Amino acid sequence: MPFAAPSLRLDVAADLLTLLRDTTTEPRSDLQLEALTLAVAADLPVLLWGEPGIGKTAALQQLATALDLPLTTVIASVHEPSDFSGLPVVGDDPAVQGVPMAPPDWAVRLVRAGRGLLFLDELSTAPPAVQAALLRLVLERRVGALKLPPGVRIVAAANPRSSAADGWELSPPLANRFVHLQWIHDHDVVVRGLGGTWPRAALPELDPGLLPEAVAFARRAVCGFLTVRPALVHQLPTNEPRRGGPWPSPRSWEMALSLTAFATAAGTSREVLSMLVRGTVGDGPGLELLAYLDRMDLPDPEALLADPAAAELPERGDLRQIVLDGVVEAVRKRPDRHRWDAAWALLVRALETGAPDLVVVPASTLAALREEDWDVPAAIDRLAGAVALSRRADRAGARAVAAAGSGR
Amino acid sequence: MSLDQEKLYAARLQAVRVRPYLATALFALHVVESRRVPTMAVDRHWRCYVSPAFVAASPVEELAGVWVHEVAHLLRDHHGRGDRFAAKHDLRGPGERLRMNIAADFEINDDVYGDGLARPAGVVEPGMLHLPEGELMEDYLRQFQLGPYTQGLVWVDCGSGADGLDREWELGGEGAHGLSPQEQDAVRFRVAQAITGRPGDASKGWRRWAEQAFHPPQPWRALLGAAIRSATSGSGAGEDYSYGRPARRSASLPGVILPSLRRRPPRVAVVIDTSGSVSDAELGSALLEVASIGRAVGGRRDLVTVLPCDATARVVHPLCRAEGIPLLGGGGTDMRTGYAQALRTTPRPDVVVILTDGQTPWPSVQPACRTVVGLFAREGAGRSWSEDSEYVPDRPPEWARVVTIDS
Repeated sequence: MPFAAPSLRLDVAADLLTLLRDTTTEPRSDLQLEALTLAVAADLPVLLWGEPGIGKTAALQQLATALDLPLTTVIASVHEPSDFSGLPVVGDDPAVQGVPMAPPDWAVRLVRAGRGLLFLDELSTAPPAVQAALLRLVLERRVGALKLPPGVRIVAAANPRSSAADGWELSPPLANRFVHLQWIHDHDVVVRGLGGTWPRAALPELDPGLLPEAVAFARRAVCGFLTVRPALVHQLPTNEPRRGGPWPSPRSWEMALSLTAFATAAGTSREVLSMLVRGTVGDGPGLELLAYLDRMDLPDPEALLADPAAAELPERGDLRQIVLDGVVEAVRKRPDRHRWDAAWALLVRALETGAPDLVVVPASTLAALREEDWDVPAAIDRLAGAVALSRRADRAGARAVAAAGSGR
Repeated sequence: MSLDQEKLYAARLQAVRVRPYLATALFALHVVESRRVPTMAVDRHWRCYVSPAFVAASPVEELAGVWVHEVAHLLRDHHGRGDRFAAKHDLRGPGERLRMNIAADFEINDDVYGDGLARPAGVVEPGMLHLPEGELMEDYLRQFQLGPYTQGLVWVDCGSGADGLDREWELGGEGAHGLSPQEQDAVRFRVAQAITGRPGDASKGWRRWAEQAFHPPQPWRALLGAAIRSATSGSGAGEDYSYGRPARRSASLPGVILPSLRRRPPRVAVVIDTSGSVSDAELGSALLEVASIGRAVGGRRDLVTVLPCDATARVVHPLCRAEGIPLLGGGGTDMRTGYAQALRTTPRPDVVVILTDGQTPWPSVQPACRTVVGLFAREGAGRSWSEDSEYVPDRPPEWARVVTIDS
């Protein structure tokens, strides 16, 4: 008989489904998921922005498994505001007892479990009143009369303005309380996953030994940065395209500080920290903070001047330029013979270990700092290459100007 | 032949002197000597591959131009944009990548040379294919195909940094001295800051890049739509839950009070006040956009009303007749009169949308309803105003949401 009996047909279908679902995983670094894990670990509300159907929910499931938290998904758009603010239930004597706001069952279960991952999906398609009620849940962690225990972590997801049928955007105070993460799909991951192998992200783990160090580092970084850039402490978004996105305020800087500490303690890459910080205080301030962190890694000019022989200059040209400029600036601020000589030694060292054009500007600035009774150090002969280079560039510049003058 | 390092770095020094704002990016490049690259090329990890023969053959001032050209590919993220364009339009194959390289060169070359940088012979320019200058790589890609005209350009090869296709002579992601995406962004950010900090030094193309590098422009339709939707839903209009009436389901749950879903369609009034500088087509598309958004939120045709000021009546009347939008007479020559009239109509509008070119005084007091301003960007008009007379158009008031409409 070629076909199975009717009652068995579904069994065959089930076998086929089992085969289809039989997939394997392979380790692969996933920066988005690492960023999400860190933000959830830091107990900050996260808002995932992404087009529909690109695997935000799947990522949440993976995260919940990794953190060993039960996942509760609440689709905001099919709920009423009372599902989040509590249903008013009229009792025997409302005047005396008041009208209690009864919480829905998922909230009761979350509170009973004491821990869990609450995922608020489809935030952007819910009616405004539902959003208002939801955001109270996010900010105050209250559902009706219940308060969610600290073990509950909250993640929300929304579709960006361009793809949402009903464009809704966060008001600045609410946007300020979220860590915004842009969720995009990776073409290779999707193709390989449909072929049967999905990625398994190795999630960052906090190193217990690094905790005090991480806090000290994060405080030094954020405080040092805000001392130099006081204008960035608080900046409301003014123009239309930046509305609904992250912006800097004392609250979001505090969030950025704890994210920096978490990223340091987990030893994650700057890439991940960059995503998190830019999603917390906005692109511009976030990038500036990251640039400041990069500079903190650079050697201190005073330390270099104290021992030029042992100096290790960075390999990357632009960083090396910053260090050399810093050294010359340090000499200019406190000129003395010994420091001036040490700076020359550093420049010679830079010329011998890297590109010569980087040395030209610091050398001419340093030469201008010379005082009457200071002898020219012997090391200056070894900078002759830089001088020749500079002359050659001068001549080329003159030729280019002359050519432009005659040609037109 | 070995690489003439001194010549190469002298050229970089000259490039830094004439384009100081690019210093960070130029210094961040790591030089790799390679005999397999035809001239100079960059990969997506900010390494610069240099052919020793090319360095020996070119004068320093031309090498300086090539330095700036190559770093411009990286700063403008031509590899990422090329990949995105290819994914969106389903383009594959080396021919398409060559086309991207040529289009990317077109985008760069119109303002790279001059001002102290010599123009090398045989530089690739949009004029060669009779294309206009000053457009973006994506625009050029739509305008030409490989053919007899581009035969002379097939030698163009700026590496994967220009078109996103990895070459066999590149070191790839694992090699040393590459910049990570975050480090690349940091370099771009510092260059953009250097340009916006001293805008007088940079060309117009670079200034535009610096403005948009970290804030890509969004289409005005989306912005206007979002502004109007959030204005209409915020004031209690639109679809919302209400305890004003019990829900029908309440009967099944005694003792529990359920809210009901109420719908109060928002009323949108559009005040139009533009001078001759706004073309009829621009004004028409903006008006129709507002009307269709208003209808999408409200659901009824008669909820959108239009008040044209005298100068615009000629355009607005036929448009509104064709679309069935009610017109509320002439609003006077001044936008403030039209605005006051819109507020006086009964029932009162929930949102007033003003379409204007900004050459007008603004209302001084904040009205009770929300206001969205669609401002037609007029760069040239604004400048001539301030030069000819003391009169400078005011900025729109703080309480209005302003969306700049550019064509």
